[in-house]
Amino acid sequence: MAVKQKVNIVAVVDVIGALSDGTLGNGNLCLIDDGPYDSRGQGTPQLETVVAPGQTVQWTALAVDLQTPVEIKSITFVGQDDDTSHRGNGAAHRPHESAQQQHPGQRPQSRRSSGSSQGLAQDRDNGDVAHQANGHKETYENLELAVWSGVVPYHLTPGTPLKYRLELQMYEGPRSTLTVESAALVATTPQQ
Amino acid sequence: MTTKAKPRTTTPRITNKRPISISAVVDAVGVLASLSTRGHVYLYDTNRTAGSTGFGTEQLRTKVKAGDTLLWSPLALECEAYVAIDGIEIDPAVAEPVRKVYPGTDVSYWTATVKSLPGEEVPYRIRYRVGTRTEPVTSDQSSFLIG
Amino acid sequence: MPQQLAIIVLVDVGNALEAKSLEDNTYLFDNMKLQGSENEGTGKLVTAINGSYWSDGSQASEQVLNWLPYSLGSLPPTVPRGYEVERARQTDQKALADLEALVNRPAGQGADPSADLAQIQRSVGTRVKSNRRNRGPAAAKILDLTGKVVPADSSAAHSYPAPVITDIYGEAVDEKIIYPAEYGSPDLVTDGWYWSATVDTSRPGTYAYTMKIQLHKLVESGTEALWEPVNLTCESWLRITSEPKRNGFTGAGLGLLPLS
Repeated sequence: MAVKQKVNIVAVVDVIGALSDGTLGNGNLCLIDDGPYDSRGQGTPQLETVVAPGQTVQWTALAVDLQTPVEIKSITFVGQDDDTSHRGNGAAHRPHESAQQQHPGQRPQSRRSSGSSQGLAQDRDNGDVAHQANGHKETYENLELAVWSGVVPYHLTPGTPLKYRLELQMYEGPRSTLTVESAALVATTPQQ
Repeated sequence: MTTKAKPRTTTPRITNKRPISISAVVDAVGVLASLSTRGHVYLYDTNRTAGSTGFGTEQLRTKVKAGDTLLWSPLALECEAYVAIDGIEIDPAVAEPVRKVYPGTDVSYWTATVKSLPGEEVPYRIRYRVGTRTEPVTSDQSSFLIG
Repeated sequence: MPQQLAIIVLVDVGNALEAKSLEDNTYLFDNMKLQGSENEGTGKLVTAINGSYWSDGSQASEQVLNWLPYSLGSLPPTVPRGYEVERARQTDQKALADLEALVNRPAGQGADPSADLAQIQRSVGTRVKSNRRNRGPAAAKILDLTGKVVPADSSAAHSYPAPVITDIYGEAVDEKIIYPAEYGSPDLVTDGWYWSATVDTSRPGTYAYTMKIQLHKLVESGTEALWEPVNLTCESWLRITSEPKRNGFTGAGLGLLPLS
C-alpha cells in the first residue's frame, strides 16, 4: 500500500471564544488530521498524529467563523525533555526570525513592520514582551505568508509521542497569543 | 373641556421627534485581543448636520438639547460576534440611560432623555459586553454630549 | 486559509436622503486593519488585500470579499430576519384580540367604545406597500427606532430599511481585479442576499470601485405609504499586494521538521 505523502493537521479555532475565555481549552480549539494511520484524539487539543518518516506534515489554522483572524505564530517541538533547553537552542521557529536569518539583505516587511510597530509595542503590556526579545515584531502579514510544513525525519523514535507547542495568534494585542502544548506527532513503527 | 383639550395636539410632536441615534461600531476581536476599546470602537450619531463632531472615534461629541431622546446601539464589525452595551456611565442629572429590548427579541439598546445640560460638555463612558466574556470592557476614552 | 474579507458600508440613511448624496454620509469598515487597510470608519477606506504566491508564481490563496450594507440609526441588523413583517403580524394579532375583547364587553361597561377603537387603530400601525419593480423592503409595517409600529396619524420618526447594494462596477471590475456578483445565502444577518467577489491578486496596485446603493424614502400618497427607491453611488478603493509564501520553519523552502 502506497503511503500518503502528505498529512494535514488543521487547527480549527473559535477565535471569539478563545479570546473571551483567554484559553484554547473549553472547546475553543479542535485539532484534526487526515493522516493514513490511526491518530488519537481527533477533534481535541490532545491530537496525536501518527506519521511515517519521509512524510510531509503541514499545519494550518482556520477560524470557525471565517471572518476572524487566526494564524500560527510558532510550532516548537518540546519532545520528552524539558523545553527550556530548546528555547535556548533556538528551536522556536517563527517566520520573521527565520526570514531575517535567511535573507539578511531583504527589505523590511512593508509599512506595518516599520511604521506601526513602535506604537503597537507601547500599547502592549508584559504579556507579549517575550516574543519581541529579538527586537523584531512579527507582523500579521508575515504570519499569513508562512507555510508550516516539514518532512518527518528518519531518526524519530517510533511509538513515543513527540509533543509540540502550538502558538496561535488572533489579531494583535497583549492577549492575542494563546498556546497549547498537548498535541504530538507519533512515528509509526516500520511494520505498520 | 374644549380649552383643555387643545394642548394635546402639541404634545405628540415632542414625543414624535426623531431620536438621535448613537451607534458604536465595535471590532470585537480587537477589543478581546487587547481588553481595550482603544482603536477598536468607532462612534457615530445621526445629528452631524446639527453640529456633532468626532465621527469614527470614541470621542464623539453629540449635539443635543434638553428634551432630546437619545438611543445607543452597538454594531459588531464581525457579523457573527456578540456585542452589547452593558451600561452607560453619565451624570444622572443630565440623563439616566436605561436598557430596553426590541419587542419580541433579546436584542437590546439603551435610551435616555436629556434632562438638562450644564454649560460645558458632558462626558460619558460606555461599557461593552463582547464575545462570551463575562466581564464588561469600559470605553478607553470618554464620549460627550454637547449643548 | 485566509479569513473572509468583509467590507461594512454604514450609511446615515436619513441624512443621505436629505442631501441626496452618500458623500459624508457613508462610513466604511473592513476586517483587514491588521493587514494594512487605511481610513477605517471613514468614507475614504482603502482596503488592503494581501495576496500570496508559490515559488512557481501561481496564486497561493483565494481571497473572497463580501459587502454588508447597514443603516446608521435604524433597527440593528441583529434583529431577526424579516423583523418588520413579524412585527406586522404580532401587532395585527394584538389588535384582533383587543377588538374581540371590545366586542365581547358587556354593554355599558368601560369607557367610550369609539375611543377604544381609535386606540386599537393606532396600535395597528401603518402598513407600507412594497414596490414590486425593485427588490425593496417587503410589505410590512413602518417601525420606529425602538421596533414599535408607527401610527398612521403620526409623524413619528421611522426606521429606514437597510441600504441595498444593487451594483458594483468601476476600475477594479473593468481591470478584472474583482469579479463581483450577488449571491443568495442562508446568512440571517444580511437578509439572505449579499454581494461577494473573488480577487485576482496577481496584479498589485490600488484600484477604485463604485457601489450603486439603493436607499428607501417613505412617501405618503393619499392613504397609502410607499418606500420609494433612491439610487446613489459611493466610491471605495482596494490596494492589492502579493508576496511569496515561505516555509514557517525554515524561512525558505521545505525541510526536515526541526525536532530538536
